[in-house]
This record gives sequence, structure tokens and C-alpha cells, in this order.
Amino acid sequence: MSACGSVSSQSGKNSPAVALEETSPGTSPRQRDRAIGGRGSTGLPWLLLAAMPLVAIGCGPTPAASFRLNMFEASQQRLKPSQEQQVATILAAMFGSPDEPVVLAETGLDEAKLQLAAGPVRSDIVGRKNGLYREHCAHCHGVTGDGMGPTAAFLNPYPRDYRPGVFKFKSTERADKPTHDDLVLVLRNGLAGSSMPSFDLLSESKIDALAEYVKYLSIRGEVELALMRAYFELDDEDQGKLPETREFLVEEILAPVAEAWQSAEDAVIDVPEMPADIDLVASIAKGKELFYGNKANCVKCHGVTGLGDGQANDYDDWNKVVLQAHKTVQGGLEQASKASTWEMDSDELSEHEADLVWLERFGKVLDGNALQPRMIRPRNLRQGIYRGGMRPLDLYYRIHAGINGAPMPAAKGTVPPEDIWHIVNYIRSLPYDFNGTLGVDRPMVARDRL
Amino acid sequence: MKRLSGLFWSILFLLVPVLGVATFAVAPAYDIWLPKDVSEHGAAVDGLFYFILGLTGVVFIATEVVLFWFLWKYDESKGNGPVKYVHGSHTLEVVWTIIPAAVLLFISIYQMNTWADVKMRRPDMAPTVEVIGRQFEWRLRYPGRDGMLGTPDDLHLVNDLHLPIDEDILVQLKSMDVLHSFFLPNVRIKQDAVPGMKIPVWFKAREEGVFDIVCAELCGWGHYKMKGRVTFESREAFDRWLERKYAEQEATQPESTAAVAVGQSADKELLASR
Repeated sequence: MSACGSVSSQSGKNSPAVALEETSPGTSPRQRDRAIGGRGSTGLPWLLLAAMPLVAIGCGPTPAASFRLNMFEASQQRLKPSQEQQVATILAAMFGSPDEPVVLAETGLDEAKLQLAAGPVRSDIVGRKNGLYREHCAHCHGVTGDGMGPTAAFLNPYPRDYRPGVFKFKSTERADKPTHDDLVLVLRNGLAGSSMPSFDLLSESKIDALAEYVKYLSIRGEVELALMRAYFELDDEDQGKLPETREFLVEEILAPVAEAWQSAEDAVIDVPEMPADIDLVASIAKGKELFYGNKANCVKCHGVTGLGDGQANDYDDWNKVVLQAHKTVQGGLEQASKASTWEMDSDELSEHEADLVWLERFGKVLDGNALQPRMIRPRNLRQGIYRGGMRPLDLYYRIHAGINGAPMPAAKGTVPPEDIWHIVNYIRSLPYDFNGTLGVDRPMVARDRL
Repeated sequence: MKRLSGLFWSILFLLVPVLGVATFAVAPAYDIWLPKDVSEHGAAVDGLFYFILGLTGVVFIATEVVLFWFLWKYDESKGNGPVKYVHGSHTLEVVWTIIPAAVLLFISIYQMNTWADVKMRRPDMAPTVEVIGRQFEWRLRYPGRDGMLGTPDDLHLVNDLHLPIDEDILVQLKSMDVLHSFFLPNVRIKQDAVPGMKIPVWFKAREEGVFDIVCAELCGWGHYKMKGRVTFESREAFDRWLERKYAEQEATQPESTAAVAVGQSADKELLASR
């Protein structure tokens, strides 16, 4: 991205057509005509002159990238501007900027890896590519990792917002963080059926650096959320300010977040061996029974046909909070419009007015800082496309632990481990459930026959 | 200034053919010429390219020299007298219509055999691999042991295409979303992938190596990054690779780190040996 292009794309005023129009706002239309070069031989010098400010402004250095404050949460917690400022200051001190990330030892992150992924796209002295995150990820996931990069609104499903620290496809129990290897696997294979591509061709060290950077953004986002939520628990004597002591910031806020990430390796699901002498036909039949049965009850969402056409009116957690916020704003405004202000005393009236100001501000924040909520669809199991990987192992993890952040529940506890293998075998047979004659022209998968 | 202008403009335009030809002359030295060709039919394609380049090159130089000569000879400052109107030459126009028409006809007949080899004489075989273009990656599907696509033993991969050398390869090309173009510069293959169509693409690679797969049809904002990798290797290495990938796909236990390391070092040895 050239400095020229990025600046002019950020501010419409610098686009050539507009710049010409605005060179001299005080001139008469006739003079402006000349400036644009409409009149004979004097046109060219005028045009060059008019282009001068464009060259001066448009091709200056790109302003340094900055992290975006979580305005959604700030509004939800009704933070004052001074409190938002405090959160931004604390975060800058603890995590640095997108160009210069810093991490405390307590995070357990490797700063050398982060340097490789952070910053603008550039080559270092030995020609090694730096700024990997902005080269490969930022246009969807955003510089802040909020899942709201420039392309995000056009994608379905939306890119992941790392800030809540919730990840779907992993080898750990539902509530636990993914391991480093889980993130690496997603980067390598991509998520089939979503817009997340495979980065398999990048070198091992690059993938490693990117996975580390995702953890960095995630930990940063979680700390931000924890800070914003901490204002709620302040005493009167704190005067609406968080204590900026190491004890509070590191031990109370950062440590629980970092520990969850560091203990991910211990939370890896123990997968029992699939019996080597398993009778596949019997296993599939058993899995089918479980699929339609009351305990696993896969049929409820994935549908009687397995086409993902069961209950399909749910939202994932990321969309649910936005939906809830929209309801809060709309409901609040509706209620406020019905309230009779002439019956209120002055305290009630000022509270009512403060509420109105907040609701309107929250509404605006929602429009600018959150994507339109979208429903989540249960997976169509007849397509053989599995976002979290197609290995039997991956399907085992999904069924055992469910999908964190999505309505898919964990079968752990309700379905015994060996039965989970039967469900896995049944699921894997679904795309090939075909009773016709086979042949090169008559493959088993329905969509291949088309 | 005015006296110089005729000379100035004619020299300036003479620079076009001079620099144009020079660019082509030095391009191979700077490695910005045709990429290395490892295919069987590539020589014929390149031969056609060079033939047409030579033909158009001669016409280009001749036209540019005439342009230079006119600019120089009929310079206004030399005062050649008033401009005279002439209708033109009927004979000349007939000649410069018939010659290009004949040349075009010749080219269209001359290239026919190569075209048929690359686009019409499809080898009679089941697809070696299915390549599916998708915004913005190449999804691959190998038929597995039964040699049939669409069965449970298919191998699914992304972007990392491996193929054996010295045998016919038949790629079944599809698109999941929009128009893409499957471009293997080193095999001189370029074929659009059209949604709703299965398009066969065939070739034979002669040399081992690792090369790019690129998308040659603007397919959306991520078009520039729709890049894959093709590895041509011996039949034995290819079979081993297929086995390993299939075992990975069918894993029921997390890979032990040792197994991963062995696989990767084998890959590296393979790459280093080229």
C-alpha cells in the first residue's frame, strides 16, 4: 500500500477530483474553470499548480496505525470520556501500539515473534518480510483484531473478533483457550466454508509469529474488557478512576487472562482410541441412532435430513451481544418516549435526560462500531465441508466440547466417549449417503453428480 | 527552439523502437522473460510466441522508422511549401489489407495443431486431481485409491498441489463462486474456471521442481493473493506424499510432535535436493 493511496483513501478530501474543486474555494466559477484547465494554452500550468497541494498532502507519510478503543463496551458500561481516556492510556502502557508492541513478561508472549508480525508491511535489513499481520490479516480482522477490517462487512460469516478471547475450533475443552498449535492449524488449513483462506504456503516461523500476534491481540482485548468492566466495582473514594498500580493492573486484571492462555495446553481433550477392529457399518448405524436420539439430539439443529435445516434462528455470542444492545437501545428509547416528564422531580428528570443522551450515543456507537447481527446456521452435514477441520479427530473435538461461542453444545457428560466415535463415523458417512450405481460418472456425493 | 523542434520530435519518436527493442534484448538477462518451461507442450507454445513476436517486431520497427522519417522529412521549419491534398493510393490500400489478412490466415492455420494438443486432444483417463477455485484459494481433491472422485477416500487439500512427472495429468477444473483462471506459468497452462462447469486441463511435466499456481482472472479484492504451489516429483515420491497426507486427514489421534517433525524434514530434504 503506497503512502499516497492509503492517505487519500482515508480522507476523501485528498482524492484528485475533490482536490481540484477545492483548490481555491473563494474563486468565481470562471476562475475555477481555468484552474481545471478548460481554457486553451494556460490550462496546463494551472493544472500543475492545482496539483501541487495534492502532491504535498496526498503523498506525505501515512499516519501511524493505532488501536481502536472498544467503544461498544465503553458505551455499554457507560464510561465517561475521562475513563475511556484512562483505559486507552493503561492499554498503551501495557501493550504498546500496532507499530511497536510491548508485552509484560506475565503475558507469556514472545516479543521477538510479535515484532515480525506487527507494524507496517516492510522488509528488514536482510530482506525478511515484516508486518505480516497487516499484510495477511488486518483487512478482515482489523488492526485492533476487532473483526471489523475494511472487508469485514462483506463476508459471511463475519471475521472473528479476537477481543473477547473466544475461539471456536480448538482441541481444548469448551471454555478453555485454544493451544498455540490449534491457532497454527487454523492458519495452515483455513476454515473451509468461511472466508478464512489457507496460509499453508507461509513458512513455519511466519505462521508461528502470526499465531503469537493473534494471542497478543486477544489478550489485549480481554484486558481492555476487564478494565472497562472494573469501573462498575469501584468505590466512591476511587472517584471514578481505576488504581494504576502494578498490583491491580498486572495481578488482578492481566494475570487471570494470561493464565488462561498459558494453561491451554493442559486442557487438551483426551481422545480415546477409536477401536481398531470397529465394525464401521454397525458404528454408523449406532451413530445414526444417537444423532436422532434424545441425548445427543443433533437432529434438533442439523435437521432430520442433516442439511442444517433444523432450528436455525439462533445467533452466535459475538452477534448476540450486538443484537441485545440494539434491543436495549430501541426498547430504552421507546420507553423514554412514553415516560411523562412533567410528573418527575428534578433528580428524576436529570436522570431521564442522562439516560436519553446515553441511549442515543449508544445507538450511534452501534451503527459505527458493530456489524449488523446475523443469524448462525447449523452446519449442513451433507456437504462434507467442515470449518474446524475434516479429520475424525477434529469432529471428535467438536462433538465432545461443542463450539465455544456458538449454540453447538458439548456432548461431554451426556454421551460416552466411545459413542462420540459412532457419531463421528455417522457424520462422516452423511455426504456419501447414496444408494445408486457408482461409477466415474456417478460419484457418491450428490453435488458432484450435478 | 522552433528550428530544433522537427529534429527533436523525430529523434524522440525514434527512441520508441530503439528502447522497445532494447527492452526485449536485455529482458532475458534480467530474468524478466518467459518463466522456465517444464512441460511437454510448452516448446510448441513458446515457438508460436516467438514466431508472432518476430513477425510483429519486424512490422513494429518498420512502422516506427517510417514515422521517424516522416517527422524528420516533413518538418514544418524546413519550409517544404504548402500542404497538398491527395486522395491516397488505391493499390497501396489493397496491398496493406491483403498482406495482413494472408498473415492472419497463415497464423490461424499454423497454430491449429498446437491448439488441438492443448485444448482438444484430451487424454482418455479419469482426473488425476480436481482443482476448485474459490475466493481466494485453490482447493484440491485427489480421488484416492479407488481412482474415483466423490467417494469417502478422497483426499482434500488447499493450495499445495503435488503431481507426478513424465505422465499425463488430467485436472478437472471447477469454481465454487466466481470466474477464476488456473494459471501454471511454468507449464504454459492457463484456463478459466467457470462456475457450474467442469473443465478438463491436461499436460505432462518433464522436470521436478516447485512452481507457482496463480489466478489469472480478476476474481475479487483478494485476487492478488490467490496463489498456490505446484510440486512436480517422481511417481514414488508423489505416492508417498499422497499416503502421508491421507494418513493426516484420517487422523484419530493428535499427531505426536515426532511424527510431524519427520514429515517436515522429509519435505525439506525433498526441497533441498532440487
